[in-house]
Amino acid sequence: MNPAIETKALCYAYEDGTAALENVTLSARRGSITGILGANGAGKSTLFLNLNGVFTPKSGQVLLDGVPVRYDKKGLTALRRRVGVVFQDPDDQLFSADVYRDVSFGGVNLGLPREEVARRTEEALRRTGVWELRDKPTHALSYGQKKRAAIAGVLVMEPEVLILDEPTAGLDPQGVTEILSLLAGLRDSLGMTILIATHDMDIVPLYCDYAYLLGGGRVLLEGTPEELFAHPEALRANHLRLPRIAHLMEVLRQADGLDTHGTAATIGAARREILRLLKEEESV
Amino acid sequence: MGTDRYAYQSRLRRVSPLPKLALTAAALLVCLCCNSVWVGLATVLVMGVLITALGGLPARVYLHFLKIPLAFLAVGGLTILIRSYPAGAAVVAALPVGGRLWGFTAGDLRQAASLFCKALGAVGCMYFLSLNTPVTDLTMALERLHVPHLMVELMELIYRFIFVLAETAASIRVAQESRLGYQGFRRSLRSLGTLSSMVFLRAWRKAERICTALDARGYTGSLTTLAGDYAPGLWLFPLAAGVAAGQLAVLYLERMAVG
Repeated sequence: MNPAIETKALCYAYEDGTAALENVTLSARRGSITGILGANGAGKSTLFLNLNGVFTPKSGQVLLDGVPVRYDKKGLTALRRRVGVVFQDPDDQLFSADVYRDVSFGGVNLGLPREEVARRTEEALRRTGVWELRDKPTHALSYGQKKRAAIAGVLVMEPEVLILDEPTAGLDPQGVTEILSLLAGLRDSLGMTILIATHDMDIVPLYCDYAYLLGGGRVLLEGTPEELFAHPEALRANHLRLPRIAHLMEVLRQADGLDTHGTAATIGAARREILRLLKEEESV
Repeated sequence: MGTDRYAYQSRLRRVSPLPKLALTAAALLVCLCCNSVWVGLATVLVMGVLITALGGLPARVYLHFLKIPLAFLAVGGLTILIRSYPAGAAVVAALPVGGRLWGFTAGDLRQAASLFCKALGAVGCMYFLSLNTPVTDLTMALERLHVPHLMVELMELIYRFIFVLAETAASIRVAQESRLGYQGFRRSLRSLGTLSSMVFLRAWRKAERICTALDARGYTGSLTTLAGDYAPGLWLFPLAAGVAAGQLAVLYLERMAVG
């Protein structure tokens, strides 16, 4: 089966000639969450705008379901329908003071009949938990609520691929959990393919199925989160770090000589690892 | 935007904006054309009854909102009322200042009172609209009335981004104040200047990002959205006619009484 979206040797340069992306080759498996990890300025946002056709690559390809994207009007319309982008600052995305009307915008642009737009708008609002807020003006919403409204505004187009730039930035811990459970729900119930750019390392082992490390506009590493965490030096060289739990396991292994496996990065995995060590201790 | 907050809670919120606009326009027009004290007072009273009875707004809030323009109206009324007259003119009340009389005649009083009450009535009409209709519904109605698309879209965007920019300006101001940016007149001026230029720059950058975000959602040159479902509210049309008839009746009675 083809990946839902992939790039092949994608290069992009800004108007002034600075290279922003160089030979980026990556792919996102259908129905999975793929993390794009990188420090500020690593090229994550630029990559996402290339995936959605807002930017046109200098060379290389973007492929949807194995078919290269065409950059004519028809091709771009299809691309934007199938690949939705949620931007980091919801105030950049919500242009209407009326939540309901803002969310309906993408549906109207698809040229769908009125009833279908209304049905999809309601579904998107309910799924993101902002249905109760539809009668409020946008400026009365909290930051987390605005973020969810922004996601609803993209879901209304029923994209196959959902791209989120820093979805957890600026949210309180509960808001982070809510957004990520919402994304995991979209993956599991609709089989949606999701890409998230983040430097919040603690969410990676919990929610990402696969991850890429981006630095200086290139793909530096790829693999499952566990495989990436086996290279803490590469993460640190790129202004990132291990998840706290993985860091603890690293310290236990290196400073205290405990025989921990390097892959435990979540509370559950660390707990199993510690219980295993305790049992070994007892049996000795 | 104090009124908008109440508009979202109004019982008439889900009623189509067009009949509300029609009622406001009819009452406003009649009130302005009658140019009478009693019609003005009747209008502001009837609008108060409609806003509280139909919209469900507490009377206290309506009175509070009426207080806001009262200061302007009082100043405006006073400047019309007080004039200077030569000594010995038939004034109702006056102060002699340097050989002339500063005061008002019975005619002045009538004119100022009718202007004051007419303006108060007009304010009542506008409150009926703005306390029952959110701005976004209003722009929708304007679009249906074939106001040029570009203007309506600009209104919508401006309205939304007033809040975003106000937030930006407020946070810059707090940042400046926390570093003593507003101590003394000269420093205040300089800080205010920086604030204005920063807000302008950020607005510029924001516009670019909004454009990108709109593109990503399939923007093709028009900000068409789906309106929520409205109740048709056709019963407001006969009500509007009734209000106008009532205003004219008050005018007729007043003429009769004055003879």
